[in-house]
Amino acid sequence: MSTSSLGSGSGRSARAGRRAGVGVTRPGLVWAVPATVFFLLFALLPLVLVAVLSFTSWDGVGAPTFNGLDNWTKLLHDPVMTQSIWLTLVLTVAGVVVQTPVSILLGVWAAGHQRNRAVLSAVFFIPLLLSATAISVVWRAILDPNFGVPSQMQWLFGDGNLMGSQSGAIAVLTFVGMWQWTPMHALLYQGGARAVPQVLYQAAAIDGAGKVRQFLHITLPQLRNTMITSVILMLVGGLTTFDTVLILTQGGPGTDTTNSAYYMYQQAFKSFDFGSGSAIALVLVVVATLISLAVVRLSGYDKMRGTTEGL
Amino acid sequence: MKRRAFAVALGLSLATVGVTACSSGSTAAGGSNTIHVLVYGDASNKVEKQIVETFNKTSKVKVVLDTIPGADYQSKLNTVINTPQAPDIFFNWGGGSIQPYVKADLLLPLDDMIASDPGLKSNFLPAVFNTAVIDGKSYGIPMRGTQPVLLFNNKKVLADAGLSVPKTWDELLNAVTVLKGKGVTPFALGGGDQWPTLMWYEYVFDRVAGPDLFQKALSGDKTAWESPESKKALGMLKQLVDAGAFGSNFDSVKFTDGGSPALLAKGKAAFELMGSWGYATQQDANPDFAKNDLGYSNFPSVSGGKGDPADVVGNTNNFYSVLKKTKHPKEAAEFLKLMYSDEFVKAQLAIGNLPTTTNTEQFLDTSASPEYSKYQYNLVKAAPSFQLSWDQAYPPAATTPIHTAVQQFFNGKLDVDGFIKAMQALPAS
Repeated sequence: MSTSSLGSGSGRSARAGRRAGVGVTRPGLVWAVPATVFFLLFALLPLVLVAVLSFTSWDGVGAPTFNGLDNWTKLLHDPVMTQSIWLTLVLTVAGVVVQTPVSILLGVWAAGHQRNRAVLSAVFFIPLLLSATAISVVWRAILDPNFGVPSQMQWLFGDGNLMGSQSGAIAVLTFVGMWQWTPMHALLYQGGARAVPQVLYQAAAIDGAGKVRQFLHITLPQLRNTMITSVILMLVGGLTTFDTVLILTQGGPGTDTTNSAYYMYQQAFKSFDFGSGSAIALVLVVVATLISLAVVRLSGYDKMRGTTEGL
Repeated sequence: MKRRAFAVALGLSLATVGVTACSSGSTAAGGSNTIHVLVYGDASNKVEKQIVETFNKTSKVKVVLDTIPGADYQSKLNTVINTPQAPDIFFNWGGGSIQPYVKADLLLPLDDMIASDPGLKSNFLPAVFNTAVIDGKSYGIPMRGTQPVLLFNNKKVLADAGLSVPKTWDELLNAVTVLKGKGVTPFALGGGDQWPTLMWYEYVFDRVAGPDLFQKALSGDKTAWESPESKKALGMLKQLVDAGAFGSNFDSVKFTDGGSPALLAKGKAAFELMGSWGYATQQDANPDFAKNDLGYSNFPSVSGGKGDPADVVGNTNNFYSVLKKTKHPKEAAEFLKLMYSDEFVKAQLAIGNLPTTTNTEQFLDTSASPEYSKYQYNLVKAAPSFQLSWDQAYPPAATTPIHTAVQQFFNGKLDVDGFIKAMQALPAS
């Protein structure tokens, strides 16, 4: 993946260099120094430290003592860990499946020229401005089984025990995630939809294609790259979902919504078992890397194919 | 462009310098003539500041008060305690909360201080003082106020149902039947928070088996959990849950967001088992209810149970512990003496805390709500045993497994044997 993207990058800067009248064809390595230093200091170094910690027993007091593979063997036989990975994947997939169609429809709609569009878009994008904590607190109050919406709609919610079962709690987390993140992805799709050349629609209209066919055969294919970007963001977000779990369900009932990120926090900062916490963190890093590599490969994102070929 | 890169590089090096400066800053502040006292940052700091001022007026060695706001306290304390930035004296919950530090040999046993001033022990209620005794040595002096767990009730709901406050377990079961017939949830329970559920275990286990059973379990004897008393207590809890005493949606209700207090205040539930702060919570959220209809009592007795019906559970108090490496143990002892002074007691009472010193009694009339303060004080004073909350008595590593097991037993995911197994798997203290 790196060759082609680097190639296009150096091509662009070569052109820029020529315009500025300097005979450089590659960006000097010096320019990479600040970013590299930051990356080493704040990304790689902590990662290495976490890897080392995962082979120690440390309660945060005193010095860590090496305990070999203890944390890892414990993790392998820990049902909560297995469940937490499974839960993380469920929450991630559910997030992508639920958010994508809504974001596309909302984004494409917001890219149009309807009346009141600007005002309504502004309203739809409000959740984007709120912190996850505020959102979780508000939804907790709305979903209160005795004083919130469920108590008024018992035909739908029964006794309102939404967060008392695993399926219910997962549904709530997915829904709140959708409410929180759809606006951001809609914004991406709005930008993507605006970039679709109008000539395509004009040609289709002449050929007699209706709105639905135009959407299916022009808008959607043209949004392919946007979609990949958006899905990758959703995957990363889904894998690291933490704040909503912390506030809405606290990983409960029992351990029913303890996803990997929350489990890591619990082990490290509530049980003061930094060794186990670090091991979980590493598992999360590996899983996330594998997934994003797979997406990049499978989607052809690495080829950076444009959508305006032939125009 | 080049100039900008330079600026970036400069900025970066400045940032790095800034980071290092920050981390060394507090060490520099810890000069040789000061004692650093670290406390949980909240409304009670008002009193702590006042006491520090009083101390500094006469002392050559000055006390500096540092606060860490909110729920971050424990993790931040854990981060600094074994570094040069560690405080000399710090706030804690006694019991398991300081055990890791005792084990790491960071804390000063206070027995020598007590030997030269017996008042440091004799001026405090014994049930409370003993919470910070580990392996026979004292590691903490009580500060702030005690927080026993009480059975709060809605007087109006009880009157409407023709019930009186239950004094025995059978009366409590009867109340469940009557209240359910009236369409009222007998007990409000913030099961989503998990710790309110734990309070039920603490009381039922104490009433059935007495305080020794839990002490046995805490000291590492895992057979305590599979004893007949333990099984009996679990059976009683199961019976209560199955009878619908808590309704069916308690797992979606929280105390912390005002859910379960509202159930009690609005008459949708008749009782709530809650720490003594439940009173202040109601005063704040539902002042009319707190004034007119909020009742409170001790947990009912269990016939045939080994536990004394006067026993209480909850948070006994907060404590000041002293670090071994403090340069001023003498002055620290002088500072700790202020924790049983009249000034301290009056100031705590004025902000609604209930100190656990023997002289508290004389000033109870000056408290924010004298009747409630007197009730609590007499309850704690008369209690043969004050069981510290299980999640505080065990070291921090056990908190999550306890909460999980407690919640899963209540909502039916664990049976009696599953719960016993979970408790036996707790990290030993």
